[in-house]
Amino acid sequence: MAMNPRAWVTAIRDALRSMTRSSLMSLASIATVAVSLMVLAAVLLLALNLDFMAASVESEVQVKAYLCAVDDTDPTCNQQELTEDQKKIIVEEVLRIPGVKEVRFVSRDEALSQLNEEFGEHKDILEGLDGENPLRDSLDIQALDVQQVAGIAEAVRKIAGVSTVNYGQDYVNTLMAFTKAIRYGGIGLVLMLIVATVLTISNTIRLSVYARRREVGIMKLVGATDWYIRRPFMMEGILLGVFGALVAMGLTGYGYSKVVVYLTQKIPFWPVVRPEQVLMNQTLGLVVLGAVLGAVGSLISLRRFLKV
Amino acid sequence: MIQFVNVAKTYPNAHSPSLNGINLSIGRGEFVFVVGPSGAGKSTLMKLLYREELPSTGKVLLDGKDISRLRDSDVPYLRRQLGVIFQDFKLLPERTVFENVAFALECTDVSRREILRRVPASLELVGLRHKTHSRASELSGGEQQRVAVARAIVRNPVLVVADEPTGNLDPENSWAIMKLLTDINKMGATVVVATHAKNIVNDMKKRVVAIERGRVARDEERGTYGYES
Repeated sequence: MAMNPRAWVTAIRDALRSMTRSSLMSLASIATVAVSLMVLAAVLLLALNLDFMAASVESEVQVKAYLCAVDDTDPTCNQQELTEDQKKIIVEEVLRIPGVKEVRFVSRDEALSQLNEEFGEHKDILEGLDGENPLRDSLDIQALDVQQVAGIAEAVRKIAGVSTVNYGQDYVNTLMAFTKAIRYGGIGLVLMLIVATVLTISNTIRLSVYARRREVGIMKLVGATDWYIRRPFMMEGILLGVFGALVAMGLTGYGYSKVVVYLTQKIPFWPVVRPEQVLMNQTLGLVVLGAVLGAVGSLISLRRFLKV
Repeated sequence: MIQFVNVAKTYPNAHSPSLNGINLSIGRGEFVFVVGPSGAGKSTLMKLLYREELPSTGKVLLDGKDISRLRDSDVPYLRRQLGVIFQDFKLLPERTVFENVAFALECTDVSRREILRRVPASLELVGLRHKTHSRASELSGGEQQRVAVARAIVRNPVLVVADEPTGNLDPENSWAIMKLLTDINKMGATVVVATHAKNIVNDMKKRVVAIERGRVARDEERGTYGYES
């Protein structure tokens, strides 16, 4: 493939000319590329966010232990209000567990006002409670090391008067399983779409070769090399892929920014990946992928329909 | 320069061979007419020369090199040494005369400067300098074939292969094309012309090779057409 710049200009010009000549097929190709890559981008963004959530939960070295209350259905609780002394004993027992750095008692009233703060401007949601407080007294237990969190949680769970124990890893495991499902499902879907994309591009290029078969025949007779003849068709495939990728990223970028704004407004403490952190890299990646898909699509066509 | 050695060609699904046992030798600078009834194998013989087809058996030598053994990737470089002319001109109708001739140079990466030098010279030779910027589709048949000749010779080929170049032309234009081919021959190119133009063959008194049923039936210096046309 000779790298004569003029030949490249010619190839791009021919490719664009060919795309406008069969504009409907070109649009179909671009749309197919765009849809495939949009799904891919969505799957990637979703997976990224789940990873991000997992990481932010995982980094917490805190164990949350809820204490028994009157209405607790947990079999280890005997459905009685704990006395202040009992609560103190529980705290002391927790402090004796190796690896515990500190324990803080959070009363149910304190928990409610904390929740009030977290909801911020949406705190009217809590007005539906009619002054009732559904929360429990709890203990915030800090571990010295994130590795010890699981062991501490296990030990705390065995203490009498403790109802349920939560810690980051629980969420992380669920999140991981969910992320995995999204990844595999997404990859399967994207693979199918990629096959459809390549076939559509290849079909477009086939028509393009057909439209220019006379020219191609003459090129062969006057001694044009295979690569010279293929170049504009390759270029056409690559451009279809790149245009499709740009459309996909335009729409995805717009959509994702909207979703992020919406999420952060509605659920302020939800950890989301900021659009500006990912969109640039994703655009680059998808444009390259679009170009590759286009090149592969045209190569398939050229191998079958352009015997040179 | 050209040698056919025991060449046979049978197309797939054909009952009988198109060419069979062809032995033929053409020297550098010769002008040769290939004649014979329709379907006798003239076009196949031409196609073997510019390697559009491969022989089923035998060798086709060009300057001692067996072109049937050429790798596919080397075929373009063979064709750059040849000029090929067809009955149907094979021009790009929506492009100008200049573009059509330049096309042969452009798609083999010749520099713009060379193109601007060679194309007008070639058009001058075929007498179409004044039509440089006309579209090919606006020209008469005779003019179109002259454009095709200009395109064939723009690279100074060593061999010009013409397959029925006057098949679509009236006698006057046919003569003009044949005259051009003779000029090209005088400038040093070997010229092989497959034709049905009886009068021209008879008048020009060049070497005539007659192909009948896939075989060389006659091969005469200063020959005649020899068939009722």
